[in-house]
Amino acid sequence: MRNDPRFRLPIMFVAVLLLQTTLLARMRLFGVMPDLMLLVAVAGGITGGPTRGAAIGFASGMIIDLFLPTPLGLSALVFTLVGYGVGVANTGVLRSAWYIPVLTAGAASVAGVTLYALIGSVLGERMIDGHLVTIALVVGLSNAVLAPVAVKFVDWSLGSMRSSRSLTSGPRLPV
Amino acid sequence: MAVYRRSRRNRFFLVLLALTSVTVLTLDFRDGGDGALEAVRQTARDAFAPVQSAADTVFSPVTGFFSSIGDFGNLRKENAQLRRELEAARADAIRGADADRERQGLLQLQGLDYAGGLDSVPARVISTAPTNFQLTITIDRGTDARLDVGMPVVTAAGLVGRVTEVSRIRSTVLLITDPQSNVGVRLANSGEQGVVRGAGNHNLLPLDLITTEVPVEVGEPVVTSGLERGLFPAQIPLGRVRNVVAAPGALQKDILIEPGVDLTRLEFVRVLLWTPTR
Repeated sequence: MRNDPRFRLPIMFVAVLLLQTTLLARMRLFGVMPDLMLLVAVAGGITGGPTRGAAIGFASGMIIDLFLPTPLGLSALVFTLVGYGVGVANTGVLRSAWYIPVLTAGAASVAGVTLYALIGSVLGERMIDGHLVTIALVVGLSNAVLAPVAVKFVDWSLGSMRSSRSLTSGPRLPV
Repeated sequence: MAVYRRSRRNRFFLVLLALTSVTVLTLDFRDGGDGALEAVRQTARDAFAPVQSAADTVFSPVTGFFSSIGDFGNLRKENAQLRRELEAARADAIRGADADRERQGLLQLQGLDYAGGLDSVPARVISTAPTNFQLTITIDRGTDARLDVGMPVVTAAGLVGRVTEVSRIRSTVLLITDPQSNVGVRLANSGEQGVVRGAGNHNLLPLDLITTEVPVEVGEPVVTSGLERGLFPAQIPLGRVRNVVAAPGALQKDILIEPGVDLTRLEFVRVLLWTPTR
């Protein structure tokens, strides 16, 4: 019961959302803050594989979309793709060297921010200018630093839904 | 064989989620800010606003410490400079009060609204938009406090932005630094009209003048023009000219405005009870 993801996942999402919208929104570096919800999608891919990565990315994107001025679904689309991509690229990294998740989070965050700006621009938002480079770099760097903690937290939140290659193996689900 | 089937199922799931996102995106985009999805969004924001407000208060010592690290060495110098500026400002205030009354009369004669004479509602900033692309803030007052879309938001130091979305207990304010923001302004010394565009966080704001050959001085104050059908009433201070660069051979000067308000550290604002005439 206590490691039920139906109980743990909402806790994780609300905690991260709260951090993102209050504390981090006021602690910016060069006017840029880490993108924790994107990091959750990345961590979902690392710890859960492609399917869970996509699902967690979709959920975290939809949640943050509720609080953004951009059209609903934009982050959801980008984060789904990021979570899936990381899951595919990172099969089994949890048991490999510590720096692999860090590098993955950095690269995936840069890719995610760029994709977000590209799709946003197609929808008529003004997102591509010189500032985009700063945003992508700062988000990539700060997300990389925060990656080890995020991976642990997301792994915890998956509870009994963890895949077999997780930190602490739980029963494998037939997904 | 099993691996193949597994990866096909993975891909099917990915396509399903991506298509759901695109569908929601299309629906929301088409409704353009009103519709069922917007109602869901409003409800979520309203429900989360009190939690955010509480968390913001809890976190304020941390954020305060973070932002004060950089300031520590400069406090004494800044204090001395502030004293000098205060004296100058006191003198200006006396002259200004007189000029104000005169201008208010003149603007009334032309049927224009004057910002200094408007009622306002104080509000607390409860969060900044959790994104690196748009620059909006959420404040803790809504239609219950007579707020409406389009109302200008200010602090004592000048213009902050305008209300773009409002619910019963909460509203969203688009900052003047947001790339979507345009403010009609007037240079205080020459009276020349122009438009100040947003250019993203921490950036100075570019000013486009209507005529290009007017002399522009560094340090010249910039105020809202309040032209008929404008988005803002007249005479809200916006900032000062920080930089004037005339590239050789170019027709246009590059003029940058430094906002009077530190838009990265807003805590309390005032909403002017004024909406643009449409």
